[in-house]
Amino acid sequence: MKKIIFILLLVPLLFASDIKTEQKIYGLIIHALLPQKAEIKVWSDNQSQKEIFRLIQGVKCVENPNDADFLLLSKRKNLTAKGIKFATNIQLLEAEKDSIVGGFFWQKGRPNILFLRKNLKKHNINLPESMQEYIEDEL
Amino acid sequence: MKHVKKLYSFIFFSIVLAIAYLFISTAQIQQTLNKNVENIFIQGAKSFAENINTQIKTVIKADPYKELKENPALQKRMEHALSIIVNDTFKYIFVLYRDSNGNYRYLLDGSKEDKARFNQRLSIDKKLWSSVYDTKVPLIINQKELDNLWITYLKPVIFDDKTVAIIAIDFSTQLPQNIYNAIEPLNKIFIYIFIAIGILIIILVYQSMRSIKIKKESITDPLTKAYNRNYLRDLLNNINITKYQIMMLDIDHFKQVNDNYGHKAGDYILASTAKIIQNEIRDDDILIRFGGEEFLVFIKKSSINSNLAYNIGQRIRKKIEASYFYYEDKELQITVSIGISCQPEHFKSVSLAIKYADEMLYRAKREGRNQVVSEITENTAALEGGEIKSINDVKSALEDNRIICFFQAIYNTKSATIIKYEALVRMREKDNSIIPPIKFLESIMYTNVYNDLTKCVLESVFTQIKEKKIQISTNLNFSDILDNKIFNLIITELDAHKELSSWLIIELLEYELIEEITIIQSRLLQIKEYGVKIAIDDFGSGYSNYTIFKLLPIDILKIDGSLIKDIDTSETSYKITHSITLLAKELGITTVAEFVHSKEVLETVKTLQIDEVQGFYLAKPSEKIL
Repeated sequence: MKKIIFILLLVPLLFASDIKTEQKIYGLIIHALLPQKAEIKVWSDNQSQKEIFRLIQGVKCVENPNDADFLLLSKRKNLTAKGIKFATNIQLLEAEKDSIVGGFFWQKGRPNILFLRKNLKKHNINLPESMQEYIEDEL
Repeated sequence: MKHVKKLYSFIFFSIVLAIAYLFISTAQIQQTLNKNVENIFIQGAKSFAENINTQIKTVIKADPYKELKENPALQKRMEHALSIIVNDTFKYIFVLYRDSNGNYRYLLDGSKEDKARFNQRLSIDKKLWSSVYDTKVPLIINQKELDNLWITYLKPVIFDDKTVAIIAIDFSTQLPQNIYNAIEPLNKIFIYIFIAIGILIIILVYQSMRSIKIKKESITDPLTKAYNRNYLRDLLNNINITKYQIMMLDIDHFKQVNDNYGHKAGDYILASTAKIIQNEIRDDDILIRFGGEEFLVFIKKSSINSNLAYNIGQRIRKKIEASYFYYEDKELQITVSIGISCQPEHFKSVSLAIKYADEMLYRAKREGRNQVVSEITENTAALEGGEIKSINDVKSALEDNRIICFFQAIYNTKSATIIKYEALVRMREKDNSIIPPIKFLESIMYTNVYNDLTKCVLESVFTQIKEKKIQISTNLNFSDILDNKIFNLIITELDAHKELSSWLIIELLEYELIEEITIIQSRLLQIKEYGVKIAIDDFGSGYSNYTIFKLLPIDILKIDGSLIKDIDTSETSYKITHSITLLAKELGITTVAEFVHSKEVLETVKTLQIDEVQGFYLAKPSEKIL
């Protein structure tokens, strides 16, 4: 019984903790990538990821990837939409390294952010000083 | 009662302290266990890291990045080696190097899942990792920010005194959970112990409350909420009477309340009176329902000569007198009489001090009720007028040897010769005036001073017997024989003067109602074993009872002066005396006529064949034996 209570209490907390961290990081990333936009339209190929954006200020989820300023991708490749593409795992980032601007993923239990310099340039993005350390020349 | 409460509080707090101690100890044990288990795993991690370090140094010559990059087979082999160590506890084992930009990148990753490729960047806490890189000292990081990791152990890989990589071993949060699981049975044992102790405490508290309630009920009068006689019994054994004055209070004409208005009205009056008394006394004072409508109050006094009880008594009396009691639309008014013993410490026992307060109460009743009487009020006027001497006067006289004996000769009626003397106690004032016993005995009755005075008189009598070799009688009360202290004192004196004891006569005053006759009987027989003769004084007055001859070993009968003084003129006195004399002769008891104050009386006494005579006509009491 005690174990069940422990698990029931702990799991939502962990989940809440991860979601909050992700929300915070995505908020920073999106606003760093699109500083001029008052309202940033976001699209994701992962339904669960969309939930994360709902509580980020100045962010609006859209249904059509072509309408989006920021596209968060978990698995979808070769997407033709013009918005800034961002990966949620390193594998997709490596596969789409010519078009995806960067990625945010968890590795070894640690949050990892990565931006690809050449793709940032393509989108004429100048990241703020605090984000500079995450820029990689190549994968 | 306060002691019981204190004891229960002490037990309760001791148990609470013991539990708190046990609880803290358990937490400490758990912490120590955690620490020890943690240390075991850290030691394991250190050992693994050391082996990895050794392995790296075995296969790599100087530059791990360069050599591993150029040799993927070596990289694969080493990663396989690392992966063997990975388990549920050591979740991630990997080796990173620091690039020229200060970022950390993979050289080797032993992870089975979430595996990184060579040279992939990993976001870590650069400050901590760099400290290992720069200081070359291993580091244990507690991962508070990361949810799935518990501890990370970092070990630098050093070539030519230069850190070239860091071996990292991440501990899974599964480990503390495993530790928790390992010590959980122990925790359960402690929890069961706590529950058992908790239940015991609840039972103890419940029983204590019950016990206190029962104890309180057993010592409390349910009607008046005052203490009852059960409490008084315990109190008499424990009270330090020097700190109290005693007040005895009785509701005047209470029987009339019961008779006229019924017992319920009486109960109501009793409860209301107790409430008024309780309100007028302080927390330190003790109110006891002594009996029916009698209350006993122990008033804590502030000083030895305090008049506090009298003042409180007056306050209670006035308050009750001014109160109207309403019972079933009837208005009742009552008064109370109060007797006070202001210096109970002078009495031989608390019971005697209470008895004295009771006597004061009955004086208050006799003198018209609705008043407060104490020895101070009672004696003040008499003391001021020099009529009665205070206890302190007698104490002072004893200390100054001013308690003396006068001796009155007793003659043989036939031979007209002195055959014995009666010792009569006197107090000599500092101005040499002589005070008769009636003026000082009452003040010291029942007190220890009375014992001292008795001792003084007996010693004085024995001194005279030793000197004059003549019989001397001394007066005692039946209560003196019953009193253990005085009886022991008499026996001690008789032991000390065994050879003179047969000259001693003890005259027992007959005006007292004799209680506990069997004790008196045995004690008088014990006294008589020393050769002492027993006389009954003032026979024919007071509680004259012929059974006394049957029960007590009487040698001499002193006929009361009230019969003798008018024996020559009163036929009744003559006949009574004649009857007494005949009876005494039949019983073989010597008769003595007291109060022979004239020749006519003496002549009449002679005709009655009374054996011995005593009186002012023959000889007045004198300080010296003739």
